[in-house]
Amino acid sequence: MKQIKNARGRKKERRVVYKAEEKRAYLFLTMPAVIVYWAVVAFPVVFAVGMSLSDYSGGSILGGSASFVGFRHYLRMFNDEFFWISLKNNIYIVLISVFGQIPLGFIFAYALYRKLVVARDFFQTMIYMPVVISPIVIGILWAFIMSPYGLITEIMQRISPGWENTILINPTNAVLAVLFVILWMYTGTYLLIFLANLQKIDPYLLEAAKIDGANEKQILGRIILPSLSGVIVTTIILAIFGSLQSFTLIFAMTRGAPARRTSVLALYMYDTAFRPPIDYPMANAVSIVLVIMSLILIVLTKAVEKRFGGREE
Amino acid sequence: MKKERKRREDATVYMLRKEAGIPTRILFYAVLIGFTVLTLYPLVWLVINSFKTTAEFYMNPLGFPRRFYLDNYPLAWRLGNFGILAVNSVIYTVVSTVAIIFLAQAAGFAFAKIKCRATPILYGAFILGLLLTVQSLIVPLFLMSFSTGLYNTRLGVIIPYVALGLPIPIYLCTEYIKGIPDSLVESARMDGAGYLRILINVIMPMTKPVAATAAILTVLAVWNEFVLVFILTGHDSLRSLPVGIFRFSGELASDYGKQFAALVVGMIPIVLFYLVFRNQITRGVAAGAIKG
Repeated sequence: MKQIKNARGRKKERRVVYKAEEKRAYLFLTMPAVIVYWAVVAFPVVFAVGMSLSDYSGGSILGGSASFVGFRHYLRMFNDEFFWISLKNNIYIVLISVFGQIPLGFIFAYALYRKLVVARDFFQTMIYMPVVISPIVIGILWAFIMSPYGLITEIMQRISPGWENTILINPTNAVLAVLFVILWMYTGTYLLIFLANLQKIDPYLLEAAKIDGANEKQILGRIILPSLSGVIVTTIILAIFGSLQSFTLIFAMTRGAPARRTSVLALYMYDTAFRPPIDYPMANAVSIVLVIMSLILIVLTKAVEKRFGGREE
Repeated sequence: MKKERKRREDATVYMLRKEAGIPTRILFYAVLIGFTVLTLYPLVWLVINSFKTTAEFYMNPLGFPRRFYLDNYPLAWRLGNFGILAVNSVIYTVVSTVAIIFLAQAAGFAFAKIKCRATPILYGAFILGLLLTVQSLIVPLFLMSFSTGLYNTRLGVIIPYVALGLPIPIYLCTEYIKGIPDSLVESARMDGAGYLRILINVIMPMTKPVAATAAILTVLAVWNEFVLVFILTGHDSLRSLPVGIFRFSGELASDYGKQFAALVVGMIPIVLFYLVFRNQITRGVAAGAIKG
């Protein structure tokens, strides 16, 4: 009896030791990644909230002489016309994605998936290629192509002599040029996403529909599109994220010119922080607005996932 | 099973293909070829013009060069300090990628195989990071880097690269390791192996495929990264190729020949990398992008 008790005790003891070791191992394995990540991502957010509510104006950041001023910087931001111009351009980018990149990406993916064309690998490789090239290179290249000495001027003047190139100069429609390059560059991403998801549709389903006499249009409308509904919603959300992230391409292509008419929110924040007059508190306010937009979108994504029954891959 | 599925898929698609009319197919060809030409032509135009002198470019911006002028490349390389920039690009890419993949495998192992109440919060934070916009943090990061003394150091660039590069590899590794049977880990525990040993001897060899995909995606992202290194450093000796190319375009804007050569230098390595690893990139993008 006693022996059994002892054995049990030892077993329990061992389990405790085991548990403790498990815990140590868990910390040891996760902490390096977690600490680096939180230091670089979470801490700046907290920091930016603090600074956006203060009157900091240079000098030592920690323990400096900044004091709390409430939401003054946010109000200034909302009263700045360039904030709204930038936001409008962000919305245009979403629209070009939703009505340009996503339908095109789907059409391309559909053609490749249904093997309506030959050399599918080639097409897929080429259409995705701009995505992997540095946006700096792409931005500068297109600025050249669209400049008064560039490719487009040359081609247009052969077609109609005397044509004047104002693509990147005209403040009202310079943004169209930027939108075109964004369409050109990122359509491949949507092609890949749609193709990967089309390939997950059960081929037996299509076969059964075929046997029942469904035609191409019915298959597209009754099987393929419904089974992609979750993916389509996800791509739209991705497009909004993409819009919030757009910075480097525009920075290289126009830097917001002419007259900051091609700015986007991230560029607006950059200009607020680094272009004289330097205004760190308001730049941090812009940063917080961007973070809040991202968080709202993340919540929205979760809701979509639930609505469409689990994750669409 | 897979083969059978593939065969039937092919058969189905064949049936459908026979049905798709000629006009439909011509339409698809037109759209696809049109877009591909639109993609390729600017890139080809760029490469061709990098072999012209600036004077020839002004006279003949569309055609082939009459004589291939190669000097743009060495001149641009020297003027743009591309030697040191390329070295920096390689350092940032290699160090960040190795660190990210190692940390992701370690954390993924713990998230997937060790039960802990903190996992939903810690892992969830990384998943959140999949979609958080890095661009929204550049100003606070710049100010923090200044106040911690990391401004203008390599470490000050690599730390944010590692942190911001972690979410996708952690996600990929964790989900992959979840698929490894618990019994493998348990039997190694019975044999008295510690967790670090299991990580190195069991988990790492088994996660090679996913680690490779994650590494390839990380290389792409870090190699092309611009804004962080642009903001967090102030000197060429610490900057990478994209920053050098950007600065070059401002300083020598009208010297087109060298300008184009610089852009080609920025483009070629990553295009080759893409062509070699495109299958993994394709799979990785599809798996990682859709996550929310």
